[in-house]
Amino acid sequence: MKSFYDAIVNLKGMMTMRDVYIIGTGIHPWMGFSEQVFADFAAVAVDNALKDASIEWKKIEAIMAGIFIYGGNAGHLSGQYLESIFGETGIPVVNVYNACATGSASIRMAYNSIAAGETETTLAFGADVSPKGFLTAKSDNAVQDRDVIRWKMGGLPNPIYWALECRKRMEKYGTTEEDLALVKVLMSEYGSKNPHARFKKTYSIEEVLKSVYVCDPLRLYEICPVSTGGAAVILTADEELIAKADNPVKINATTMGSAIYGDPTIRISALSCPSVPEAPMLSESYSASRQAYEKSGIGPEDIDVLELPDNSSWHYLVYLETCGFCGEGEADKMLRDGETKIGAKLAVNPSGGFSSHGEALSAQALWQVIECANQLRGRCGERQVEGAKVAMAQTYGLMGNSGTTIMTI
Amino acid sequence: MENMANKVARIPNLVDWSTGEVRLMSAKCASCGTYFFPKEHYQHRPGCSREGVEDVLLPQKGKLASYTIQYYPCPAPFKTEKKITPYGIGLVEFEGEKIQITGIITDTDLKSLKIGMEMETTLLDMYTNKEKQQVVTWAFTAVK
Ligand SMILES: [Zn+2]
Repeated sequence: MKSFYDAIVNLKGMMTMRDVYIIGTGIHPWMGFSEQVFADFAAVAVDNALKDASIEWKKIEAIMAGIFIYGGNAGHLSGQYLESIFGETGIPVVNVYNACATGSASIRMAYNSIAAGETETTLAFGADVSPKGFLTAKSDNAVQDRDVIRWKMGGLPNPIYWALECRKRMEKYGTTEEDLALVKVLMSEYGSKNPHARFKKTYSIEEVLKSVYVCDPLRLYEICPVSTGGAAVILTADEELIAKADNPVKINATTMGSAIYGDPTIRISALSCPSVPEAPMLSESYSASRQAYEKSGIGPEDIDVLELPDNSSWHYLVYLETCGFCGEGEADKMLRDGETKIGAKLAVNPSGGFSSHGEALSAQALWQVIECANQLRGRCGERQVEGAKVAMAQTYGLMGNSGTTIMTI
Repeated sequence: MENMANKVARIPNLVDWSTGEVRLMSAKCASCGTYFFPKEHYQHRPGCSREGVEDVLLPQKGKLASYTIQYYPCPAPFKTEKKITPYGIGLVEFEGEKIQITGIITDTDLKSLKIGMEMETTLLDMYTNKEKQQVVTWAFTAVK
């Protein structure tokens, strides 16, 4: 019995001992609807990642693929489709879906496979093509899939959920319409300097406040649309590859969280929520970020660059609190005081955020990791955060999905 | 409410008006005390034995915990014969049951909406089906 126990302890020790690095990243720039197939976008991203890592395809020992949920059989087996483009080599290919945190799942699996010693060099990727028109229910069985109820009877497109939470926040903490607009002003300034961004126009507070309400209090420019894009990350523990890589980025922790009982957030696709909180709001993200802080020994006070999921201006504010960058109800002041700008102690969304990109479901979490890695590698040009050493990518997925990745250079 | 007999919910087991009062159909877990809506949306407390889940009707009245006004039509499969956009969506709190539930706001001046105001459960006519029945969903209206 003792030797079995020791083996487990040793194994755990080994897993934390083996460092895993990002050596290559690739993006297909974000855009609107396209007639091209998702695998083309994925291939561009993967090709760019291979070039960045200066390695050949045959070095990839496993593929952790994000599922493209609207892509039918091809999208559900996206890893197999991608592998066949570059040449099938018989390696493990796993396809995963966790809504908007799909990329978090793929990078976490790649990390764990390497940390556990199963593989040396692993690819994580995702690509999404924005569907024409609206995203609605994916089945017609209301008992099995309550998403059917929210669409058929609830009249509840996604931004309504955010507006309901935003209104509560305004009532509780005094968040103003100007605060919500200011988020867009900042994001548009950074997005205009990002060649990968889909939206590059800058806005003033007045222009944002003149945009129409989609669902009061959220306006058109304060919520993000659906986009097309692809992203790929190559991780390794191969010392030779790390040595020859251009500024390899260490992954200190990559975690996932799910919701906690008693979380008062009205979650997308749900029709109810608890009225007496017994857990933090957005508890899935609370959980993922706290796991990452514990595993890495790095806390919010150590982080130079934060990419958070600004699906709406409300998300930008609440995520600063959920992830512990300030206390509850304090994010508005942080924003107003310029404490989230490039040049301040913490730079929030120097990429321009989802506000400048839009959501490409299976790619977006990887894209956030890539922006962080690019900042740490000093590759961000006009939007570069000077001297960035520690970065954190935080995702948000519907129905209690979230991931956090902390990286250093 | 007139002609209640000729109404049918678009999806069953969500809203009941058989008693003459419109009430949402919930379920309560006798073991962990949690109320669910829809009633199949189980959200037990971790460690709960999950024994003794019973159907219950929620009170007819609750308090507005949050709201929004949606300015664009909700895409299909949502459908109503009459144009309802812009429409209000409320999150109504049933205090004793410790649950908040979303619903379209009807027959209410949207400018008068205020967190904390009293709301009651009602029905919203959506469209007439082939059997000439009025298809409905649940909704909330300000208590007059
Ligand atoms: Zn229970």
